Amino acid sequence: MDYKKLKYTIEDAAKNAGITEYEVYYTEYRGMDVSVFASEIKSFNSDESRGICFRCRVNGKIGYASTEWMEEEELRSLPVRALENAALIENTDNDDFYGTGDHYQKAETEIAPLAATGQYIEKALSCQKACYDADSRVSEGTETSAGGYRTVICLFNSNGLDLSAAYGFDLVVTAPVVRDGNDVNAAYSFSIKSLDEIDTAALAKEAVKRSVQKIGAVQQESGKMPVIISNEQVCTMMGAFLSAFSADAAQKGLSLLAGKEGEQIASDCVTLIDDPFYAESPVKMPFDAEGVATFAKTVIDNGKLKTLLHNRKTAKKAGVKTTANASKHSYADTVSISPYCFYIKPGSLSFEELLAEAKDGVYITEFKGLHAGANAVTGDFSIDSEGFTIENGKIGHAVRSFTVAGNFFTLLQNIRTLDDRLLLDSPSGTTVLGAPDLLVDGLSIAGK
Amino acid sequence: MIAKPILEAVLAKAMSTGADFAEIYVERTKENNIVMIDSQIDRIKDSLLSGVGIRIFKGLRCVNASTADLSLEGMLACAGRVADALGESNEEVSIHLTERLFGDIHPIRIVPDTALKSQKADILKEAYFAAKEKSDRISQVSATLLDVDHQILVANSDGLYAQDRQIRTRLAVEAVASKNGENQTGSCSPGRRMGLELFEMIPPRSIGEKAAAQALTMLDADYCKAGTKTVAIENGFGGVIFHEACGHSLEASAVALNQSQFAGKLGQQIANPKVTAVDDGTIPNAWGSINIDDEGTPSKRNVLIENGILKSYLIDKLNGRRMGMESTGSSRRQGYTFAPTSRMTNTFIENGPDKNEDIIASIEDGLYAKEMGGGSVNPLTGAFNFAVREGYIIRNGKICEPVRGASLVGNGKDILMNIDMVGQNLGTGQGMCGASSGSIPTDVGQPLIRVSSITVGGR
Repeated sequence: MDYKKLKYTIEDAAKNAGITEYEVYYTEYRGMDVSVFASEIKSFNSDESRGICFRCRVNGKIGYASTEWMEEEELRSLPVRALENAALIENTDNDDFYGTGDHYQKAETEIAPLAATGQYIEKALSCQKACYDADSRVSEGTETSAGGYRTVICLFNSNGLDLSAAYGFDLVVTAPVVRDGNDVNAAYSFSIKSLDEIDTAALAKEAVKRSVQKIGAVQQESGKMPVIISNEQVCTMMGAFLSAFSADAAQKGLSLLAGKEGEQIASDCVTLIDDPFYAESPVKMPFDAEGVATFAKTVIDNGKLKTLLHNRKTAKKAGVKTTANASKHSYADTVSISPYCFYIKPGSLSFEELLAEAKDGVYITEFKGLHAGANAVTGDFSIDSEGFTIENGKIGHAVRSFTVAGNFFTLLQNIRTLDDRLLLDSPSGTTVLGAPDLLVDGLSIAGK
Repeated sequence: MIAKPILEAVLAKAMSTGADFAEIYVERTKENNIVMIDSQIDRIKDSLLSGVGIRIFKGLRCVNASTADLSLEGMLACAGRVADALGESNEEVSIHLTERLFGDIHPIRIVPDTALKSQKADILKEAYFAAKEKSDRISQVSATLLDVDHQILVANSDGLYAQDRQIRTRLAVEAVASKNGENQTGSCSPGRRMGLELFEMIPPRSIGEKAAAQALTMLDADYCKAGTKTVAIENGFGGVIFHEACGHSLEASAVALNQSQFAGKLGQQIANPKVTAVDDGTIPNAWGSINIDDEGTPSKRNVLIENGILKSYLIDKLNGRRMGMESTGSSRRQGYTFAPTSRMTNTFIENGPDKNEDIIASIEDGLYAKEMGGGSVNPLTGAFNFAVREGYIIRNGKICEPVRGASLVGNGKDILMNIDMVGQNLGTGQGMCGASSGSIPTDVGQPLIRVSSITVGGR
């Protein structure tokens, strides 16, 4: 069924169900990826999916229903199911659905189609070969994948909103395994750009360098010491504590940032920005999951919390304007809150200068199992980590199997400084996290 | 869900460029998710997932494609995409499917989808308020009642045609306790391959109370000091340690590619002789149980480790080809958009020879991990990290004050040898296990065990 027919079917079914206020969120996804093991293609995937979510507001209560089965009868059942679900809801502090009148930044409705199958295969094979060529110790277990992902999001509602936007990117990830005697190490590196811009030789070189550097890792000493967290791992950590910035979590007592607007919650050097149109970001979104026009905002300004992230419901409750951060991770989800390109503004120091500033300590390049070892409600974390010693302002030797423990909210206060190496992580839904390397004081390291 | 002649035509199309095996997986999953927070029913997610995944093999090459378009043209186009990715040759293939019936050993009494929504709301409220009313210091509770009706059909070029309907119910409560601007959380989230009759066995009230009690205990706890300790790990979700530190490394997806520390170790002593461990998808109504796996192979009880000796891996068809071994009925996928691979079902350490009280009494200075949190592992090196949700100091053979923020850090190989006492209260805990083929329900389990020495992370 095409989109036009689908729209008509839903509108008609909503009318028959007696629903006057409703909104429809529709996504289409196309993805392709190939993975190479040894010098062979190990697997090839090609996915096409689409889904539709209907929501209605009846007596201030919101009901949802969604499906992937685009048959007329199934589509017609959506308003009926949503109505039934709305009847059970007890929360009535919902605003009416959004209307027309916003000015939207130009959406990218024409994104490049996926590259040909052969091009993804060729990229993966060439990157894999470059890994093996880079060092004779690169061995079995080395794997490279190349893929492309395209998403279209459409939204229309009974107030006349009718929006659509698309985003897409290509991604090559390589994870060389390096064997040196009994010492086996793996690290990875990735690149997100359009496929023809991805430099597989440089990517392979970087990944192999990272794996080789881990050879001969020893157990880290215990104690409190200055810690540099690599830009990639700062992103990983931000991901685990993201809900702390949600006004919904704050209003429900699930974020310790509740009521802290205007207060100093982080060190002076921290400025955190949410920008739906950040130039380097692979995802740009002109409207949020409630149809509100998105815009850039400073969340932490030189350590001061300026705002939490809002959707229309939390904004109404807080008596502020929405920050247009209504989101759905999957089309079927109920509306929640997430940022777009959410990044810590880089500083002016180089990485070498940051090392010199740390003098003696540890540089963390890998957090493992952060989802298990971090609690966004309490801020506590205790994470198995790997990295390098910092000795007299220079990278020393590789260290492994140590636990870094602390509290995210205390960590924000204890950031001594940061460097200029901004890294953007791979997107998760419409969220892209970004950060430079951070120098943090006061963290406990438990090693040998 | 889809007529045989259509499946036969789609499989033939997928095989048309020289594949030696083709498979189609059809999924229709209804999911209902009711969330209560702030003492109100806040939101309901009500969704239907529907689509097909088509896979072909040629030797060790695997091509996979999926589509939500269930029309004949949509499925043929999807089959065309897998065929095109493989090659250029053109072959006429004919396939004849024969239905295989498997008895359903997981009876369902109250199918959640047909129950009144108000009945579900009542269950949720009972659990919610049991947590909320436990203490003034319980500042927030969130409770979720999840029910899933997951229907699958698997057909392949060997003529297999098999179906399963997996109905699961789970109630998860998370409680937050607060004092002086500090939060601690507690949770309890039992689930089964059952309908709403689950709550006749486990009263919703008990779930809420347990979550709240844990949050309150942790609110008064001090941080655990880091160091190397003897640790007693309690039954139930404590089994996550075996799941992470050993189970993942026994999956053929790691073993076949020589990415596991246990590759090539069949018949060797890999654990203390007191350890016998099993993966069993045939336990009636258990959370991780399946009648057939997602390749249509019947599930079975696989003894992984017997008295410390490695006996078996968990094997799917593709990795079975790499290893020259038969499938163990262990191939699983979250849904049609994921390619299946070897995964766990219900995985646990069997009861052992030691009395539980003797285990605690044997520890002079150590940690009692009453409730474990989640964890992760690197199958290449076996390095793992688990959070201890609820821990207590053991002093002179007695369980003493609670401690927060502890984690267990170690290596799969070492810990298996270091499990030197195994108790007798085997129990299971429910989890959602994430890996390349998506998020799937699995049970972990064990009796109380003693680990003679392990790194405890803290501060």
